[in-house]
Amino acid sequence: MAMMRRVKEKIKKIIKRPARSKKTAVKPARKKGVTRSQGKHLSAQTQPAPVQKETLGLNEVAIEKTKFSHPQVRRVQRALPQDLPGGYGKDRMILQVRDPWWLHTYWEVTLATWDSLKQRLKDMFHGAKKSLRVYDVSHIVFNGNNAHRYFDIELAHDANNWYIDTGGPGRSWVVDYGLKLANGEFVTIVRSNVVQTPLDGPSWVTDEEWMVPDEMFGRLYGMGFGMGHTSMGKAWQERMKKALFSGILSSPGISSAGSPVKKRAKGRNFWLVVDCELIVYGATEPDAAVTVQGKPIQLRPDGTFTMRYALPDGKQVIPVQATSSDKIEVRTITPVVTRQTHTDIAVKEEPAQDHVAAAV
Amino acid sequence: MNKGYLCLVLHSHLPFVRHPEHDDFLEEDWLYEAITETYIPLIWMCEKLMEDGIDFRMTMSLTPTLISMLTDPLLQGRYMRHINSLIELAHKEIERTTWQPQFQRLAIMYVNHFCRSRDTFEKYNRNLVVAFKSFQDAGKIEVITCGATHGYFPLMDVCRDSIKAQLKTAVAHYEKHFGRKPRGIWLPECGYYPGHDEMLREVGIKYFFTDSHGILHGTPRPKYGVFAPVYCKGTGVAAFGRDLESSKQVWSSIEGYPGDYNYREFYRDIGFDLEYEYIKPYIHPDGVRINTGIKYYRITGDTPHKEPYDPGWARETAASHAGNFMFNRQKQVEYLYDMIQRKPIIVSPYDAELYGHWWYEGPQWLDFLIRKLSCDQDTIRMITPSEYLAEHPRLQVITPSMSSWGYKGYSEMWMQGANDWIYRHLHEASYRMSELAHGYPHATGITRRALNQALRELLLAQSSDWAFILGTGTHTAYAVKRTKDHLLQFNRLYEDIKANSVDEEWLEDVESRDNLFPDIDYHYHS
Repeated sequence: MAMMRRVKEKIKKIIKRPARSKKTAVKPARKKGVTRSQGKHLSAQTQPAPVQKETLGLNEVAIEKTKFSHPQVRRVQRALPQDLPGGYGKDRMILQVRDPWWLHTYWEVTLATWDSLKQRLKDMFHGAKKSLRVYDVSHIVFNGNNAHRYFDIELAHDANNWYIDTGGPGRSWVVDYGLKLANGEFVTIVRSNVVQTPLDGPSWVTDEEWMVPDEMFGRLYGMGFGMGHTSMGKAWQERMKKALFSGILSSPGISSAGSPVKKRAKGRNFWLVVDCELIVYGATEPDAAVTVQGKPIQLRPDGTFTMRYALPDGKQVIPVQATSSDKIEVRTITPVVTRQTHTDIAVKEEPAQDHVAAAV
Repeated sequence: MNKGYLCLVLHSHLPFVRHPEHDDFLEEDWLYEAITETYIPLIWMCEKLMEDGIDFRMTMSLTPTLISMLTDPLLQGRYMRHINSLIELAHKEIERTTWQPQFQRLAIMYVNHFCRSRDTFEKYNRNLVVAFKSFQDAGKIEVITCGATHGYFPLMDVCRDSIKAQLKTAVAHYEKHFGRKPRGIWLPECGYYPGHDEMLREVGIKYFFTDSHGILHGTPRPKYGVFAPVYCKGTGVAAFGRDLESSKQVWSSIEGYPGDYNYREFYRDIGFDLEYEYIKPYIHPDGVRINTGIKYYRITGDTPHKEPYDPGWARETAASHAGNFMFNRQKQVEYLYDMIQRKPIIVSPYDAELYGHWWYEGPQWLDFLIRKLSCDQDTIRMITPSEYLAEHPRLQVITPSMSSWGYKGYSEMWMQGANDWIYRHLHEASYRMSELAHGYPHATGITRRALNQALRELLLAQSSDWAFILGTGTHTAYAVKRTKDHLLQFNRLYEDIKANSVDEEWLEDVESRDNLFPDIDYHYHS
């Protein structure tokens, strides 16, 4: 169960909270607009992070604070810039594979390049729309014109990176960032590297020397994914249905280590914990021998002593006995302590609940 | 005669966290907890297995960052301070729980565990890497390497020089600590991207691991699924695919062993449960409550009410789970053997820190499993990848598919709205490092030191852990800080080197803090 909780918590965070928390300092310029296919994904990112105090509690805030507190900085001070630069003064576009369906690209275009475009395009520049052109370049040497197909994505004005839904696993892609002019012409500003998305299922290529019947491969395939001895069709379907790559089996990674997150009761988040401890303390001659409940204890140099006990329900008889160093005198004092715990929970009905009940 | 093989793989990794500028640094506890709860219990297990004459095989990655921390005198000293403080607390707990025998016996258990940990730590002169080396030298475990700082390779494909630097640094570091070159590698996050095997081949690595779909979606189809390794087309580096069935039994939220109600509850720690003034000396100096490692409850059920932990029950449960795991592997192996007419290999990789730290009884389970495999049956033989390759050199040749063992199986964990901003900076730093490596082929003196430090800073910024933490959305501040600090330091070194004005005093300070890989060579980044 604990495992499940941990994984669930993590997944919940991954799914529900992709946005950076407000405390996070780094905020690079980000896309504002969204394409149709991107809408859900991006809007989730731009919303402020929901406050998750119910699971993380105050501890999280406090711990984060301690991470930031750097009391004595004794090192040599030549101040580093506080933040990373917004750009590096290069025209560049980088394309990376996120998974079989999605790519991510980021780009930078220098002011000089924008200026020369403005000069070149003159009036046409202002009506132009910043766009991505995504080329399917599988199995070809791309020369700019020979792509199997391409599609365009119109960008928000200030976007500097984008997730692209290719809809095509197992293919090669190149992306241009450029301007789409009013007359439909596309002017490339920067071109990305080529990437290849992985297949999202088994290859249809078999090799002669190691050929394997479909039925047998299907069974192996299912077993490899830990779905028992099913036939191929079923295993493949199930993989889709169950969304095997849901992250349940993914590595919990290191953030698990030392996680101070403490899980509390579900449902209503209110809770109360009460416990009791008993401190028994006293003093005698420093050289006396003292026992508590028959067990010898250590005195401080000044003859005082303190014992601390978790106090369960019930009666505790606690004889404290001191014997003088010459063994002539023995004194005993016996506190008797009783703990009795009652628990009572009262929950008032909330008006809202009636409302919900009525609606149901 | 055995009908198949089991290849147990433990991946041990922690990012480099070392802050001499602070007396007490929260994130350093990751290391101390893992030492007490995972690495030392695994060492005890191996020692005892060898003492009992059990012939076992296990594959274990120790990442270069982890090795660097385990061999660092400052952190070793701080671990001693940490364990001594825990021992003191556990002693106080014995007294405090006088009237609660159900907890007092656990307090005694912890005192014993902690004292033994300290003894073991001192026995190896505070250097636990030596222990793992001795098990490797005895032929029982095979230690493999990893990316130098656990950089996630698929998102470094556009600057392969950095992947080469990650690999070359790792291999040199491994050689220094283990006296020979590593044969295998655990790719960080199990992240494979087609073509990266070429760089593995260049540094002499013979095999790596992928997640199941890395093999199953490879081209052409793998004849034996994940139950035999393959050679990568063009390079001949072997790839072993993870078996998800055996993984599920340990990892899975639904079927996984660690959720058993008899096992120890991770979330109930006296660091949070006990009265503030009492526990204060043992939590963070700023007064923030943290886990101490002393936990008194078992999982009990899906309820906030928890019952006291019973080590005896937990041990029995671990034994029965080990039996169950072995039974399932036997059935799996027998079935596969009949089907493919060849001895299948079941590759079961796990995060090492799962054992002991998260799943307290994990090391016991592993111990039971190894003993049962070794003594109670002969269907399955434990094997290391090197041994397998020596015995079965003829394998199919395919191109594995891009894959990782992270969330959803690809790169999304490390590339999403919360962390995609880092790549713009990381890639630029990589290009700059390549520029430096080519522009200063024969640097000496302080320029050389600055170049070497620049590579250290770049590698540290590349740790997948920062992107991972940013992706999970909890405690992101530290991950942001680390990413930025290393990049800013890198950028300054780059500028200073180019301007021929390296500030020696500042460089010394950076070197003293980010002091891993003392023998690094900036030429690795080319």
